[in-house]
Amino acid sequence: MKSRLQVGFLLAALSLAPAAHAVGALAGAQIQNTAQVNYIVGGSPATTNSNTVSLTVNEILDVVATLQSGDVPVAPGATNQVVVMRVTNTGNGSETFRLVLNSVLPGDDFDPTPSSPAIYFDSDGNGVVSAGDTPYVAGTNDPTLAPDAFVRLLVLNNIGAALANGARGFTRLTAESLTGIGNPGTVFNGQGTGGTDAVVGTTGADSFAVGTYLVSDISVTANKTAVVTDTFGGSRPLPGATIAYQIIVTATGSGTATSSVFSDAIPANTTYVPASLRLNGNAMTDAADADAGQFLTTPARVSVNLGNLTQAAGPQTIRFSVLIN
Amino acid sequence: MKKGYALVVGLALLGLSSASALAEGATRPGPKAGCIELKSVAETEESYRDEQGQQVVRRVPAAKVVPGTQVIWTLSATNICATAADNVFIDNPVPGHMTLIADSVRGLGADISYSIDGKQFAEPEQLHVTEADGTTRQPRADEYTHVRWAFRNSIGPGQLAAASFRAIVR
Repeated sequence: MKSRLQVGFLLAALSLAPAAHAVGALAGAQIQNTAQVNYIVGGSPATTNSNTVSLTVNEILDVVATLQSGDVPVAPGATNQVVVMRVTNTGNGSETFRLVLNSVLPGDDFDPTPSSPAIYFDSDGNGVVSAGDTPYVAGTNDPTLAPDAFVRLLVLNNIGAALANGARGFTRLTAESLTGIGNPGTVFNGQGTGGTDAVVGTTGADSFAVGTYLVSDISVTANKTAVVTDTFGGSRPLPGATIAYQIIVTATGSGTATSSVFSDAIPANTTYVPASLRLNGNAMTDAADADAGQFLTTPARVSVNLGNLTQAAGPQTIRFSVLIN
Repeated sequence: MKKGYALVVGLALLGLSSASALAEGATRPGPKAGCIELKSVAETEESYRDEQGQQVVRRVPAAKVVPGTQVIWTLSATNICATAADNVFIDNPVPGHMTLIADSVRGLGADISYSIDGKQFAEPEQLHVTEADGTTRQPRADEYTHVRWAFRNSIGPGQLAAASFRAIVR
């Protein structure tokens, strides 16, 4: 019953990997072998089974933390800057992991300061802290992951005020198996799934990923305007009226805002006008394809990939229309 | 007259032998069943340093394993009857959660064959897997489901025939 509840929680709050277990035999599984011998004695065929040998599959403790963000461009003094990480249970049993954040690391130019709270579960997987994302509290909601399952995490740091353009700051997230960590082969007797022994796997039952903040003296602003055209030639927001939106995205500074994506929700009680999306006057299809823009459903929104934005590239103008229902 | 006696004696012998067979069948699960005792043993290899500091590998009984553990399965067939056993063959399904290690199957004096369905046994070159697009190929090691050792000679009373294979826990 307990494990069922855990699965329910995982489905609700965490991203789950496909059901196929790359890890193979699950902890607690029994491997049984019975051979059979066939022969003829005195003209009569006979068959005898061997004894049945039963082996128990122990739990192997393995975890992999991976960085999901590239270098995160940040402005000096910026707060709650997000690095996306992922922690995957690569062992063969359900396991709980402790998460540890450290932003005081050698080899970088500055030390980011962890926000408070500093780690969030990215339950909707959108890469930013949103309303449903819960903060991680060590010892309280340590993530329990089924074999092969992963959890997406948002690591938040504040950036110092007086930093030079191009300065780098590292932040490190470590995941440790709550059962124990150690050299591969270390055994925790009886502490594995279903009373099996837990054995530390090749990862040492802990793993870390390091994210990088790159100080980039660049700020991106978006200015949105709307023009309403009703069916009577006026500008009243009546059912059937069209709202034409224009958003001007401007980058200011000497750096580069890498992999910029503009995303805007279609307002409630309106419907996106198909094929109305424009970037700098150029039409784009609604499908996800070679052009930069697309219209997406659930939730309804438009998205335009603006790529690497610089001040030199100039303002980017996005237009789309919706119909009032 | 002489011929007639011989016939009677012959019938009497036939009657005796069938009676004894029945008696034996009544006390055992099947006729002649159990003349070969088959024992299966699972071991793993463990390396350690001996007194001279040399790396030595020894086999230890397997009970608990983890994915990646290589298990050596040894089968020994002993004839415990007073009569020789002919046409002896051992079938061993590849245990669940395990993958057979190619070229690890041993059996002195036995013809070794494989199966991917538990029905048809053949040498690897003669087994084929049909892909979704209709093409055929030889099976991968993880597709073997059974191994068979067919012993070329009879196993005499008290004699033992052995077979082994290795498999890895998935």
